[in-house]
Amino acid sequence: MTLLEPPSTTAPSRPAVRARNRRGRGRADRKPRVLIAVTALFFALLYLPIAVVALFSFNSKKSLTVFGGFSLRWYRAFVHDDVLLSSLGTSLRISLVAMAGSVVLGVALALGLVRCRTRLGSLAGLVMLVPLITPEIVTGVASMLLFKGLGVDLSTGTVMLAEITFSISYVTVILRSRVAALNPEVEEAALDLGATRWQAVRLVTLPALLPAVLASAVLIFALVFDDFVLAYFTTGVDPQPLSVRIYSAIRFGVQPTINAVGTLMLAGSVCLIALALFIPRLFGRRGGLDILSGE
Amino acid sequence: MDATPAVRLDGVSKQFADSYAVHRLDLDIEAGQFFSLLGPSGCGKTTTLRMIGGFSDPTEGSVQLAGEDVTALPPNRRNVNTVFQSYALFDHLSIADNVAFGLKRNGVAKAEIRQRVGEMLELVQLSGLADRGPRTLSGGQRQRVALARALVNRPAVLLLDEPLAALDLKLRRQMQVELKQIQREVGITFVFVTHDQDEALTMSDRIAVMSEGRIEQCGTPEDVYEHPASRFVASFMGTSNLMSGTYRGGAVALEGGPALPVGARTGIADGTSVSVSVRPEKIWLSDFEPGMSVLSGVIRETVYSGPTTTYLIELAPGVTLSVLEQNTARARMEDRWSGGETVEFGWRPEHCLVLA
Amino acid sequence: MALLRPSSRTRRRGADGDRIWTWLMLPGTLWMTGFLIASLALVAVLAVGTTDDLGNPRFGFDLSGVRALADPAYTEVLARSLGYAVLTCAICLLIAYPVAYTIALHGGRYKHALIAAIVVPFFANYLVRMYGWSVVLSDDGPVLRALRAVGLADGNTKILNTGVGVVAGLVYGFVVFMIIPLYAALERLDVSLIEAGRDLYGGPVRTFFFVTLPATRQGAAAGLVLVFLPAMGDFVSAQLMGGPDQIMIGNLIQDKFFQGQNWPLGSALTMLLMLVLLIGMFGYLRRTRKDEAEARR
Repeated sequence: MTLLEPPSTTAPSRPAVRARNRRGRGRADRKPRVLIAVTALFFALLYLPIAVVALFSFNSKKSLTVFGGFSLRWYRAFVHDDVLLSSLGTSLRISLVAMAGSVVLGVALALGLVRCRTRLGSLAGLVMLVPLITPEIVTGVASMLLFKGLGVDLSTGTVMLAEITFSISYVTVILRSRVAALNPEVEEAALDLGATRWQAVRLVTLPALLPAVLASAVLIFALVFDDFVLAYFTTGVDPQPLSVRIYSAIRFGVQPTINAVGTLMLAGSVCLIALALFIPRLFGRRGGLDILSGE
Repeated sequence: MDATPAVRLDGVSKQFADSYAVHRLDLDIEAGQFFSLLGPSGCGKTTTLRMIGGFSDPTEGSVQLAGEDVTALPPNRRNVNTVFQSYALFDHLSIADNVAFGLKRNGVAKAEIRQRVGEMLELVQLSGLADRGPRTLSGGQRQRVALARALVNRPAVLLLDEPLAALDLKLRRQMQVELKQIQREVGITFVFVTHDQDEALTMSDRIAVMSEGRIEQCGTPEDVYEHPASRFVASFMGTSNLMSGTYRGGAVALEGGPALPVGARTGIADGTSVSVSVRPEKIWLSDFEPGMSVLSGVIRETVYSGPTTTYLIELAPGVTLSVLEQNTARARMEDRWSGGETVEFGWRPEHCLVLA
Repeated sequence: MALLRPSSRTRRRGADGDRIWTWLMLPGTLWMTGFLIASLALVAVLAVGTTDDLGNPRFGFDLSGVRALADPAYTEVLARSLGYAVLTCAICLLIAYPVAYTIALHGGRYKHALIAAIVVPFFANYLVRMYGWSVVLSDDGPVLRALRAVGLADGNTKILNTGVGVVAGLVYGFVVFMIIPLYAALERLDVSLIEAGRDLYGGPVRTFFFVTLPATRQGAAAGLVLVFLPAMGDFVSAQLMGGPDQIMIGNLIQDKFFQGQNWPLGSALTMLLMLVLLIGMFGYLRRTRKDEAEARR
């Protein structure tokens, strides 16, 4: 989905920088004030909505525009709201199942795609791309029709199935570049030392991929937990995922409780995504944004 | 009858798309030898090694280990182990666990594993590092782990794919000596792939020089160096003065130059295009002996490099020879020849090779 | 011809072609084919289906759903969606370029942190962010208040319930997809190339147009596709920021499946959306192929 390649570490070389400074009497080398101002404004607008939601979640009043003082009343309201709490539980269950399912299928798919040079392999590569170039609304409509067509009642289970389908591609995209970057000799060394192909994958390849697998798992958990469109089309009526509840709440008059729930969700997913970015460092590798990378 | 060779390649080819990486190779490697496959990159030496190891299927021909056809066997069922160019250590395992990997796969008892791993780490002088991770080691240490990990399984043949290429020169020299010592100690057949002719000469019992998927020459280091069988071998093994010309009645008429007396050669017809090869260190500048071919030329360049000095001597327009002299005879700079001087030089007839 | 083939000594396994990779690939591929490809096919089939008296979809061959697409009410929505999506792409490019440029070339040792600071909130909950954005753009929100304070807006100026609001929502929702590829392209850009440009062309403006911009064209193209795809299919922005006059094709689809219960028409609309996106993707692929071919020459 994203196009970020692993950030290269090559900073402009020292001599180059010095050369620029030497040439630097011209206008070109002043600090680009306009660019910095634009960037600062961008960051302000980027964080403003998030800040507003967070701020008003602590509002003692019901208003969304006037701040009446600090209070935890909306958090208290959330904690006592059984419907929202059960939705939270539903969302957590969906995320866990989708994470487990898509990571297992996606990691296997990534391994196969990179190593398999048959026509079937390139076909599978195309199939894998479909969810990435299909807008969620189409995936949502299609999944709903499939379930209805098969006579399956929409429920938490159907959300799980749909989310797994959609998430496999993410896992595969994240893992594929990692698999391709593995030293093929390491797996050969395992074979050389008496391991079968399966043992080599299990004992050598998967441990080498572990940081990326964990990071993608955390990322998928967060993405599924936050996902709204697919869940909206495939969920049943009663236990609804949290994001679908929030959607209804936002559409039909806002209750400030949603600010509290939203703030908690934002905080939660920011933590998870930051964790996903950080996981490779725990293994002594360069962490960073390249976990979000694809082609 | 010779004993069964440790490795026998019988008409082995490897074809990629429409080109051959290895073409109808026949090769016997005797048990207990340090055998080198030497050649420039792309000559098929690594492909040959991979076919012995089972990582690559020959398109044609068969691979035999100790007389048994293993062509269809996967790597894990061949009694060979490999030291990879990248070392290919398992980063998530400790040094000891890396070395124990093969033994565990083969169901060796725990106590024996511990003992053999300990012995092997001692052999490669890494006993103190057993619990460290591979990432914390230096290049030389990683290389030793790779060696220990392969040797501990006591394979019939150890395959080494340019294992020293990533090391710096000094460490490489040291490891060459160590590797040779270890080979003598364990008595296992080593098949060593390298593009470094010095390395091959220093370490090997036998060398196969490869080019474009074929073996150009196979023999002892002395054989290959002193009696190169082809122009390619002569130029690839060390430096050589190669001059092309036409053979006619005991002399070779150089292109645009004089005729070199080379003596009568059997098996070469008059009028054949040949190359004459003389090693720089086989050319004398003084104290000629009877029977030597002596010529004269003009010194064009003098290159001093510590123990030796190299002279570039122009024999005729367009024909320049390089001559290497030990700096034992002339100790001071002013004793040496300088540019523009005309000198006599010569060689023993047996050091002048005529290559068809 | 048979003579050309190597003697077919069939080996059970080969080191080069192991079955294991096919086996690993199979479950995921079958799963995705079963769910995704099958369900997309179902949408296509239902687009020419009918509904029975109770409103349940029936398979068959009936073009009424497809024909209905010609209705001006729908073509107008499609045109508006396209317009919004294209406008969103353009604005995203205008915003993302300076931001990515500043971070990549002047971010120094903070550039990774800065990019993370953009990416992390974007991967957080879309709905909550959009909802917060709608509050910010509301009549009493900070943006309009600031604009009024500097005299750029009066009491009647609105952002919500206008096309501006919808596009603002789409931009806020997807601008990160533009920033990431642009940043990647700019980061890869060799600084010495800019130096050389300065020597060759002199001024920074000329350097920018002759050196920097062409070098990042692929990144920009990727960004445009990545923004266009979700923007075209979005229905949340039009719902939260727009009014009944600003609905997009996504809202129509949602409506046909949930309120209107006209599934064949909904399916036909979905296929129409996919068609537009495929045309866009195809254009992008042709463009990049051409670029690559030129680069190789």
